[in-house]
Amino acid sequence: MKKTFIARITAGLAAFAMIAAAGSCGNGGSAQTTTAAAGTPAASADDSLKKVMDAKQLVLGLDASFPPMGFTNEANEIVGFDIDVAQAVCDKMGITLVKQPIVWDNKEEDLNVGKIDCVWNGMSINESRQKAMNLSEPYMNNEMIFVVPGNSTVKTMDDLKGKTVGVQSGSSAEEILVAADLYKDITVTALEDNVTLLNQMELGFSDAVFLDSIVANYFITENSKDYVILPGNLEAEEYAIGFRKNDQALRDEVQKILGELKAEGKLAEISTKWFGRDVTTVK
Amino acid sequence: MTGEQLSTLFGLMLEYAVPTLKIFAFTLLYSIPLGMVVALLKMCRFKPISWLTNIYILIMRGTPLLLQLIVAQYSVPYIVRSDICPDFIKSLLENVDIRSESYTFNMMLFAFVLNYAAYFAEIFRGGLESIPKGQYEASRCLGFGKFQTFFRIILPQVIKRVVPASSNEIITLVKDTSLASAIPYMEIMYIAKKQVPLYASLMPLFMAGVFYFVFATVLTVLFSAVEKKLDYYR
Amino acid sequence: MAILEVRNLSKSFGTLNVLNDISFDVEKGEAVAVIGPSGSGKSTLLRCVNQLEKASGGTIRFCGMDMFVPGPGGKSVYADKQTLRKVQEKTGLVFQNFNLFPHMTVLRNITEAPVCVLKKSKQEAQEIAMELLKKMGLETKAKSYPCELSGGQQQRVSIARALAMNPEILFFDEPTSALDPELTGEILKVIKELAADGMTMVIVTHEMNFARGVADKIIFMEGGYIVEQGDPEQLFGENASERTKQFLQRYSSI
Repeated sequence: MKKTFIARITAGLAAFAMIAAAGSCGNGGSAQTTTAAAGTPAASADDSLKKVMDAKQLVLGLDASFPPMGFTNEANEIVGFDIDVAQAVCDKMGITLVKQPIVWDNKEEDLNVGKIDCVWNGMSINESRQKAMNLSEPYMNNEMIFVVPGNSTVKTMDDLKGKTVGVQSGSSAEEILVAADLYKDITVTALEDNVTLLNQMELGFSDAVFLDSIVANYFITENSKDYVILPGNLEAEEYAIGFRKNDQALRDEVQKILGELKAEGKLAEISTKWFGRDVTTVK
Repeated sequence: MTGEQLSTLFGLMLEYAVPTLKIFAFTLLYSIPLGMVVALLKMCRFKPISWLTNIYILIMRGTPLLLQLIVAQYSVPYIVRSDICPDFIKSLLENVDIRSESYTFNMMLFAFVLNYAAYFAEIFRGGLESIPKGQYEASRCLGFGKFQTFFRIILPQVIKRVVPASSNEIITLVKDTSLASAIPYMEIMYIAKKQVPLYASLMPLFMAGVFYFVFATVLTVLFSAVEKKLDYYR
Repeated sequence: MAILEVRNLSKSFGTLNVLNDISFDVEKGEAVAVIGPSGSGKSTLLRCVNQLEKASGGTIRFCGMDMFVPGPGGKSVYADKQTLRKVQEKTGLVFQNFNLFPHMTVLRNITEAPVCVLKKSKQEAQEIAMELLKKMGLETKAKSYPCELSGGQQQRVSIARALAMNPEILFFDEPTSALDPELTGEILKVIKELAADGMTMVIVTHEMNFARGVADKIIFMEGGYIVEQGDPEQLFGENASERTKQFLQRYSSI
């Protein structure tokens, strides 16, 4: 124990020295790290599934404040729709599910360095994520919508011009919003999580929040808030699970089990628990 | 929020005050002695050592602690895959389980300790340099050896002089422990942030604030008592 | 036999020669006064003898032990650590600005070195210290801290501190210069008493009358050289060198 600690200290020291020397190892070189990661675990044989089975655990990375997909409850347990599904998958595989909270902005990094095995947290599919990760088939549809307070003068998306809109930083909602035509006419404030954004809107920091309809619906019902969802959406989206670029075997295995769960009706059961109906799109 | 919710929340916060205290205590435990060593290294007459120490202090004080915490977390996997890393270090590090809780904690502590040691080093150096040369000379003329001079004559005087600045630093550390939530490491701030969505209320953050305030106030009182105690001479 | 023999001592800081060809002896029980204008190298001389500065050349012999001798290439070769330490323990220095340890009581200032360096028992050291304090008229101040004492009292404590090590020789570096004029008397009185007790002393001072009255030998320095040395009658008398006369005249006219 003592020895390994010292070993780690030495390692860290070397790390700092290296960072000082190389100048930019940090976030600057994310493209570079992706390629580096691709070369690491096993360039030749894909032992990703074997590794998980040997370790008898699947480490699921999530930002645990994304209700109802994956979030923290009163007892500080991580729960949610994604967690229930992941648990069912792990049960079938005969391994343990490990829920590892991460910083959402660093999820690709955490995958690359092997801190986690997958990102499974209501993650929308987009181009940059397709590049950085090995994504599963979409398992759920989602829309990106605007939420305004019940008494707001904003009634349609056109009314948003000149207003302030909150969005989760590092989310696909942010990317969509930035890419939208509307973007040049609004002020965007980006914050760490959706719920804080909604709170801030309530307090008048912003006029609207742009987020996943799933989250918005859940939040409004759970907390019986007087919010209104504006008609229409910017883009329909799909959720998927992210794996390491090279972990094809693991990805395929999880995908296969998801299909089995769908066929057995297990997915519908979990979906009904969280959403009142089967919203999953797994084939 | 209902009373029951409040008490549940309070219980949870109290539970996770322990990891916060753990970061605090271990950081002090290691960074104060290390800071003393660094101060002496910086004052070393062999220039290369003094320069290296200077660079270390510059980096630690010149970059955000938050950044250092993140870099420390990712350091081991980066080193393992880097091309310039010597093989013996690689083989040493490959066995490190970066998923383990102890890794997260140790690397975080490592960053905290290195950061705070740099600040403490500067405080101690200031304290050491403020001791008049005459004290060393008088001690030498009385036949004290170098160690005796340092531990019996110089150090007690340095301690008195560095207490005000150190207490400032230590109280800052109370609040800096909250940066651990960005790793993420489950301490009081992390819990507070994650409980916010649940209750759709800022109460958890407010409670965390009260905790930090109480902790810092206790330390403030403690340090003013220590200062008073050390006030027996000029 | 002389306790202290200084031969051809020189000291330079870079290209600046502060001490040149200094030679003199101090016999047991002798009180030697070193006088001269400011910057003449008096303090540097004391600091070289007390190992606070490294000499550049020459020899100093203390109680038959060579502290350093000229080595090849003109550099001074110092004796081994043990010898130097022994010399250190046997010589005492009283500073111009006392340099008492502010965090220790008067008593502990005096007992610390005997206990830690000479390994005396705490009780023995305290008995010696109390005796010395009584001699200095400070027995009521044992529990005080230096900051609570007047300058004159502090200087008496620092003399007691040096004496507690039971030195063979005691050096004074302008012991009254940092004191108010009305306080110098008490220090000079103490030094006079020590001289009467037969303490071997070297005193750097600007108090000419005191030097004349108490010293067995006077060394007059100027510009890093010893201009003249001899008994007080000689230096203060008609047969003194012109420069000595000039210096003393200037001094008494101020």
